[in-house]
Amino acid sequence: MNRLDQKTTYSGSRLQSRGRTAVAQARLAMLIMINLAQLWILSAAIEAALRHSHKQLLALVIASAVCWVISLTIILWWRPAPKTGI
Amino acid sequence: MSTDINKVIEKVLSDEQNVREASAPYVSEFPYDRDKEAQVTRREFCNFLFLTSSAFLVSTAGFASKSAYDASKEVTFTPATIEGSAEMKPGAALNFVYPGKEDTAILVRSEDGSYHAFGQKCTHLSCPVFYSKENKRLECPCHEGGFDAKTGDVLYGPPPRPLDEIDLDVRNGEVFAVARRVRGSEG
Repeated sequence: MNRLDQKTTYSGSRLQSRGRTAVAQARLAMLIMINLAQLWILSAAIEAALRHSHKQLLALVIASAVCWVISLTIILWWRPAPKTGI
Repeated sequence: MSTDINKVIEKVLSDEQNVREASAPYVSEFPYDRDKEAQVTRREFCNFLFLTSSAFLVSTAGFASKSAYDASKEVTFTPATIEGSAEMKPGAALNFVYPGKEDTAILVRSEDGSYHAFGQKCTHLSCPVFYSKENKRLECPCHEGGFDAKTGDVLYGPPPRPLDEIDLDVRNGEVFAVARRVRGSEG
């Protein structure tokens, strides 16, 4: 491997590492945002339960379930690509 | 002398150092790094966030199902006398429970002599309401909600619906609670 090839390989590996870090950070940020949204939904649900507004409660439960499904997909599928030996 | 005392104090206070010193010969046999153990990896933190998300979903669903169950439950009411109601003067209020022991309620005798009874739990966040003689209304001290003392309707503040209403029956000067109704429900 000549010097130029080595340089290219190094920069490719660094790019890949950066990409993986970006994906990992994005996952974390999305999970935190989903958690905050669910916290808000929970407080709204408590108020709706005290108000006896069941239609609103149903909508809130569905919204929380959607958030949960999104976080499940983030945990199970949206993972950084495995390292390839460039 | 003072340095000796300082050394002793340091030795006594630094428990962690003593533990580390004591466990040093066995570390190779049982490799355990306290510092590393205290750190959380990004993956572990993500998993923790997912668990939190699951807990939020379960809590929201729990509140919803509890509320739906309570609304669908059919309660049969048996008339009950309100102890002490016969001695009430106009402008007075009396706390009682109806129909269950945990269902707190408040009986108000207006200036015109009529009786009105409502659930005592504020419809905002369930704080107990009290009768304000000066303002002649039911007030919630927690978030400054106000209710009409004759109808139980919201006058001001954050409560989203009127107080639960308790149907009364007056027989020979004695007041009986006969039913309790939740109002302002969407169903």
